[in-house]
Amino acid sequence: MKRGLIITINLLIMGFIMLFIIRYANTKAEESNENAIIAFEKMTMTTSQIIANYLEDEQHLCDLWANYINRSAEDGAPMTAEDAISYIRKSKISSEIEGHLIFLDSPEREGISTTPNVADPNVYTVSYKKIEIFDNIETERDTNDVVGLTRAYTNPMNGVQSIAFLNNVTVLDNENNELKKGLLMRVVPLSRLEQKLVFLKGEYEDVEISLVDKEGNYVVHGKSFKNSNFFEYYKSYNAATSEEYKQVINEIAGGTGTMTIRNYKGEDCILSYTPLEIMTTWSLLAYIPASNLVASRSIDWLLLGIATLGFLILFIFNSIVMMTYNRKLSEAAKQANQANEAKSNFLSTMSHDIRTPMNAILGLNEMVLRDSRDENIRRYSESIRTAGNTLLGIINDILDFSKIEAGKMEIINVDYYFVSLLNDLVNMVQKKAEDKGLALKLNIDKNIPTVLNGDEIRIKQVVINILSNAVKYTKQGSITFSINARKPEDKPDSIILKISVADTGIGIKPEDLDKLFVAFQRIEEKRNRNIEGTGLGMTIVQRFLDMMGSHLEVESEYGKGSVFSFELEQKVVKWDPLGDFEEAFRRASSERTNYHEKFTAPDARVLVVDDTPVNLTVFVNLLKKTGLQIDTAESGDECISLFTKKHYDAIFLDHMMPDKDGIETLTEMKALTETPNTGTPVICLTANAISGMREMYTNAGFDDYLTKPIDAERLEMMLLQYLPGDKVNTESDNGDTDDNELPETENVDTDDNGLPAFLYNLKELDLASGIDYCGDAEDYIMALTLYMSSATKKAEEIENYWAEKDIKNTTIKVHGLKSASRLIGAMELGDFAEKLEKAGNNGDSEMLEKELDGFLSRYRQLARDLEPLNDLE
Amino acid sequence: MKKTLRMILSLSMVGILLLQGCGSQKKEDVSFVPKYDKDTEFSLTVAGSYGNFESLEAEFERFYEYYPNANLQYVTMDDYKNVIPSALVSSEPPDIFTTNGSMIGDEKYDAMFEACEVFSDSSVAIDYSCIRNSLIRTTDSGDVVMLPIFTTSYGMLVNMDIFEKEGLKVPNNFNELMDVCAKLKDAGYESPVMGPDVFSGSGLFNCFAYPMFAYDVLKNSDKVDGLNNLDPSSGELMRPALARLNEFVTSDCIDVAKCQAEITDEYDSVIMRFFEGDVPIMLATGDVVSGTAKRESKSDAFSAHPFKYRFYVAPAGDDGGYFINSISICFSVNKKSRNLDMANEFMRFLISKKELGNMAELKRLITPIDDFSTDELYSSLADIPADRCFSDKETGLLDPAVRQFRAAIYAVGNGEMTVDEAIAAYGSIPEE
Repeated sequence: MKRGLIITINLLIMGFIMLFIIRYANTKAEESNENAIIAFEKMTMTTSQIIANYLEDEQHLCDLWANYINRSAEDGAPMTAEDAISYIRKSKISSEIEGHLIFLDSPEREGISTTPNVADPNVYTVSYKKIEIFDNIETERDTNDVVGLTRAYTNPMNGVQSIAFLNNVTVLDNENNELKKGLLMRVVPLSRLEQKLVFLKGEYEDVEISLVDKEGNYVVHGKSFKNSNFFEYYKSYNAATSEEYKQVINEIAGGTGTMTIRNYKGEDCILSYTPLEIMTTWSLLAYIPASNLVASRSIDWLLLGIATLGFLILFIFNSIVMMTYNRKLSEAAKQANQANEAKSNFLSTMSHDIRTPMNAILGLNEMVLRDSRDENIRRYSESIRTAGNTLLGIINDILDFSKIEAGKMEIINVDYYFVSLLNDLVNMVQKKAEDKGLALKLNIDKNIPTVLNGDEIRIKQVVINILSNAVKYTKQGSITFSINARKPEDKPDSIILKISVADTGIGIKPEDLDKLFVAFQRIEEKRNRNIEGTGLGMTIVQRFLDMMGSHLEVESEYGKGSVFSFELEQKVVKWDPLGDFEEAFRRASSERTNYHEKFTAPDARVLVVDDTPVNLTVFVNLLKKTGLQIDTAESGDECISLFTKKHYDAIFLDHMMPDKDGIETLTEMKALTETPNTGTPVICLTANAISGMREMYTNAGFDDYLTKPIDAERLEMMLLQYLPGDKVNTESDNGDTDDNELPETENVDTDDNGLPAFLYNLKELDLASGIDYCGDAEDYIMALTLYMSSATKKAEEIENYWAEKDIKNTTIKVHGLKSASRLIGAMELGDFAEKLEKAGNNGDSEMLEKELDGFLSRYRQLARDLEPLNDLE
Repeated sequence: MKKTLRMILSLSMVGILLLQGCGSQKKEDVSFVPKYDKDTEFSLTVAGSYGNFESLEAEFERFYEYYPNANLQYVTMDDYKNVIPSALVSSEPPDIFTTNGSMIGDEKYDAMFEACEVFSDSSVAIDYSCIRNSLIRTTDSGDVVMLPIFTTSYGMLVNMDIFEKEGLKVPNNFNELMDVCAKLKDAGYESPVMGPDVFSGSGLFNCFAYPMFAYDVLKNSDKVDGLNNLDPSSGELMRPALARLNEFVTSDCIDVAKCQAEITDEYDSVIMRFFEGDVPIMLATGDVVSGTAKRESKSDAFSAHPFKYRFYVAPAGDDGGYFINSISICFSVNKKSRNLDMANEFMRFLISKKELGNMAELKRLITPIDDFSTDELYSSLADIPADRCFSDKETGLLDPAVRQFRAAIYAVGNGEMTVDEAIAAYGSIPEE
């Protein structure tokens, strides 16, 4: 996972947790706030009750006065206004409280006060003419109201803001000696009421209390309540629609509740309101800035800050730890990658290095098989071929497995002849089966189309593996190779091949079936220890089948045999039926004995290019009996030179060459327009030709490719395919031909026959080994001559590369000398070359600097020692 | 003695104005620096007759920035003029209270003013030099016991959008008024000028003609006594103003009947009718203008189609209009205040160009300071030549004389009397 992604995920998790904390804290804060608001509302109601009680008490006192006065009237001894005032004056305790007896029907709304006017101590007359507090007094007071009360007004006797509790009295009019109605007012300074609210300050520091009448006019005015009317104040500082405005009025008039309003500073404030129960005209408003009431969020932010800091510290700590581990893991991964790379390099090198001598081994062995008439030698030679092919198979398996593991294996579908595939399969297994005395039974559906589209190579590998296993693990009995075809219903262009291999072998225990597909795991290792194999075969089979959309099915009965089968869908290119393959193959097999060239083509000319002279020798010899005219070239430039001069019917071009490799050479050749080789097929020779190479070389422009070690039969088949028909004489053209029809080099069977005497004096050469490698004395001398004649040039090339510090090409050249030297029996020189090659591959320029001169010196010396060969015929 | 003093004062004011001009500035404002510890805890009560005094409450808030522990409260008193003298000697006297120009010199309030802090006393250390000198009132002994907070005047509200739409300039003199009105009439405005047809000072005839009459009185100060004594022969001094009024009401400028029908009171109705948006000129006092801000949102017509409006003096004279400046309210400090120092501190804070300007702008009344630029609504007043700017007190007219003049213009404006009849009847013209 990328670091950025890890950091993002960590931050997301942290963010999520912090969001959770915020949400949780907010929820808690909201709960707390709600509780605080509820408590505030309760306080408002409590205050309302206190005020109500106070007002009720005051009203009660006013009523006592009125009752006393009225009772006098009822008793027939009504008081005059002066008497009534005199009574009140005596009965009231507080000097702040006044009693006013007003006659509303008098022109000036005049009456008498218990207290004189502060401006004139002699004046007791009080006038309410210009104080509009009585106009609506009857309509405002609800019949249920306990208290009859004025709004706050200015006491005309002393200018003090006051409220007055009211009651009606009946007194005697002195002038006409009649009873008349008067309004008795218990006038109380507003400050007394305000004092009842002081206690709240302790609990809520910034609370402000107002009393408003039903119009919103303040009776008691809180400091922050602007305007003279609360509703006007609300409207001034709160952006409310007329509907909202009306709703606020209705809510406050309607009962107890809490709302949020904005004050003149634009701050949110909690307003709690409740009507005074004792009267319908007044409401109590308690107001407090929301920030004072609701829980302080600073605690939440502190918590959040600490959590964030904690997370960051944890994140940094973990990051440091993870980075330390990652560094170690990275180093380990780097080492693993290096090891893997080393493995790949090793496998690649192994492929090339093993195949190169294998080319010589199998190629020269093929010569032996062709030339030898001695049955023993032929038998030995056959064994060499079998062992060699087995070895190649193992190498191929390992390389394929590596490629599968690395995810580099791809299925590449091409058109192929099914009969060709079958031929290869049966040919490869037939001999092995016969050698073990097993019968290979073929059961091939005659209706299989001739040309299919699929990955021929992988299919072949799969079936060969299964067939080889069947042969390996069957001691007696038979191997039955069956292929049946059926058409899928939904795909008219395809066919499904059912391929099965049944043997009468040792079978597999049910408990071992799972091990079958485990890499490098062999079933019953102890029992089968003599059977060669890597344990990779079935694993590769299963992987390939997976890649081709199939799977292997195994039915086995321990001790009786097994049936391996799979189905494979292939697209059909040509629907012509295959016919009776068994019969055709049986006939061909019975006719095949010793090697016999498949054709002769004395008029055809081919060019073979390889930087290793021995390989050229093998190639030439393999085709000796075909009578082909074969030109050889040891480099790309030499190839191009010949390419421009002579016409060739086919060109075999090695891939891995120093200076100009096969692909570069081909590119140059293709770029040439005026050559006698327009349309000449070019086939790639490669020792690296592991599976999947065909596509690479085809894409590079080659017409085909041939792997080294060169399979003689495949080489001839390929030539048959590419040479012009008119230059090829096949058996059918010539009738039966015998081995003697073509000029044949004289066989030299003895070790020393034909070898010049001076060779025995050359300590650098192991003649026996050289003859072994080259096949016979004649070929050996030819190889020695080639080795000698190319030495000057090759040594110079190496020196030139080294002078330019071109380690790569120096190493390639040294590698060539390693193989060539060993081929001619110069084993020590070969070992020396191998040592320098390793140094080159490791980039050890110091070693090369130190040893290269000595090596070339010995090489040149050997070449000089071989110069007498020039004198030979 | 009083009359002599008033005459000297008036003449000196006229002289000063002639030299300085209406909107001339005296000196730069000085930032308020608190004299006391900012943590001082105190309460002050300001008593007045305004039902609402939001502009003062805004000043409270600004004052709290210097004294956060202060608690100032405005109290509306009922029957203010009668009650305030008593309130000052009560058990809960206000610390600061509003007064007005008519109170000073009235014997009823002599005791009250004697109980007031003397601002002209240097020990009080209140610098009121930012206030226009013509607005400073003194007691007979020369003490300054009240400082003007708002002033008002007579003039007209002009719908600037109509003038802009019709491509007209606001008239500067009577001829231009006639010309503009004719064009507006042609443009479809039935009564280019409107106003409340009421007897009071807010009446349309008073707004148009009284400044011109006051100016004539000021120029003929020797006849003031005759006018004040309601001498019928003094009525002749009303002739120029009455003749101009008669000329005005008989022109196409105004349809008095329409005014009577559509404007039913002298305050709310004036504003709401003006906000209908089809009246180019509405004769009104500054007090009426102060009510416009709150009523903008109450007028559906104005809310739907708001327009720009300004206050101008009525261009009754041949050379232009007259800016007669009247005190709206003053503040006085109760010398027996329990927090006298802090009451004076608040006054010291308030009496500054900045704060008085703020208050006037919020209240939409004319600022008493010597700079009209603080309020765009009244900015036209700065352009009036100094010789036509004066205060009502400078005229020396007493209330009876003023009321007779109002009766005259009410009668002439409504066609109940001719100009000659009104002049002849001076002193006995029926009042409302």
